[in-house]
Amino acid sequence: MPEPLTVAIDAMGGDHAPAAIVEGALAAVDQLGVRVLLVGDDAAIRESLPGGGPPDGVTIQATSEVIAMHDEPGAAVRKKKDSSIVRAAEAVRDGRADAMVGAGNTGATMAAALLRFGRIHGAARPAIGVPIPVPFGQPQLLVDGGATVDCSPEWLVQFAQMGRAYARLRLGEAEPTVGLLSNGEEPGKGDDLRKRTFALLDGQPWFVGNVEGRELMSGHPHVIVTDGFTGNVALKTVEGALKAAANLVFTTLGAPEAKGAADVVAPLLLQGVTDYLDPDTIGGAALLGVAGVCVISHGSSSPRAIVNAVALATECVTGGLVDRMQDAIGELQDAQESPSGTDRGHAAVEEEEAYAR
Amino acid sequence: MPAETHSTQEPLGADEVFATVRTHLAEILEIDDASVTLDANFAEDLHADSLALIELVEAIEEDLGERTVGFSFDDEDLGDLKTVRDAVDYVVARLGAAAA
Repeated sequence: MPEPLTVAIDAMGGDHAPAAIVEGALAAVDQLGVRVLLVGDDAAIRESLPGGGPPDGVTIQATSEVIAMHDEPGAAVRKKKDSSIVRAAEAVRDGRADAMVGAGNTGATMAAALLRFGRIHGAARPAIGVPIPVPFGQPQLLVDGGATVDCSPEWLVQFAQMGRAYARLRLGEAEPTVGLLSNGEEPGKGDDLRKRTFALLDGQPWFVGNVEGRELMSGHPHVIVTDGFTGNVALKTVEGALKAAANLVFTTLGAPEAKGAADVVAPLLLQGVTDYLDPDTIGGAALLGVAGVCVISHGSSSPRAIVNAVALATECVTGGLVDRMQDAIGELQDAQESPSGTDRGHAAVEEEEAYAR
Repeated sequence: MPAETHSTQEPLGADEVFATVRTHLAEILEIDDASVTLDANFAEDLHADSLALIELVEAIEEDLGERTVGFSFDDEDLGDLKTVRDAVDYVVARLGAAAA
């Protein structure tokens, strides 16, 4: 029987830490058969543990510092070396854990993973693969959800390749399709970054071209690629729109004249929201391009979100996420080094630039 | 002189430091070594973001820290490093200070 996986969890990260994180970690041990390494303030963690001590399957690694939500990520990781985020990443690096989960400062979690794991060979920058909920379907992936704000066209091509590899693992799609987020579907749409990236991706059988923001939550294409800045703005826009729509629907159902209908419809809607739209159901997003498994959860993670984040982390480990990313980047490099691949890319860019002039 | 601040070898010169910086930077940014010139601006010419610079700093510290015990960047100074030349000059100065 194989040894259970160990997941290092930043117990101090998140709006409801450490109580919600610890509760979720204990549930993950019970429900998933994993071991967890709770990293953070020893006394605070013990206060959240029933009986004050760790049960079987749970270990505590005491740390003395916490990276706050407002801390500048890179500087915080360098200065706060005994923080829960940094130590959780080091547990993975040193082989004491198979993966890490963090619901705290997203940038710092990403920075700690990048700096402690290192990047996989050939991956220029990391990207966050965020599952976007699709009602009555499986999620769609947005890459990058905010890891790398300023991107080059070549990096976006890498994100596309890593996104496809992640979609095979996460969505079970044999041949995932990829679209480039832009302000119109026509090939000439977008800023310089979009145009140059389009030129590099054009001709790939899996590339469907530019897609607009309204394709988010549609399920098609399987992967939507963009830079971390635009990706994060798109994510927050979707989140805000969903909240507004939910507010409208549930306020309407609460009106006296909707009483009869509400009794029937409201439970169905609530179930649908829980099944498809609740971020706690998704659990978290995987960091792609680093030499280890790191799942980033949202700041208001509940215990259920932590269970699902740990489940995603174990899925990434057993599914060979890091090897898949390495293979994806390797295939891309091989294609770029072949004469035809290089010629196609450069010729396409030159043609696009001539068109722009 | 306390042992922990003692340089185990002669401090590196500017050329050697530049070679070290160039190698690490090219690897981190996945670019050709030749793109990394002394006058290159990290942000404008090399498109290095803040995390890439921290990767660079940690790589240099690990590399040169083995040679010159006590060598490190001061985090407060990182914002002043705009070009490759800034970084090379800074490292040479810090190596000299660590060896003194």
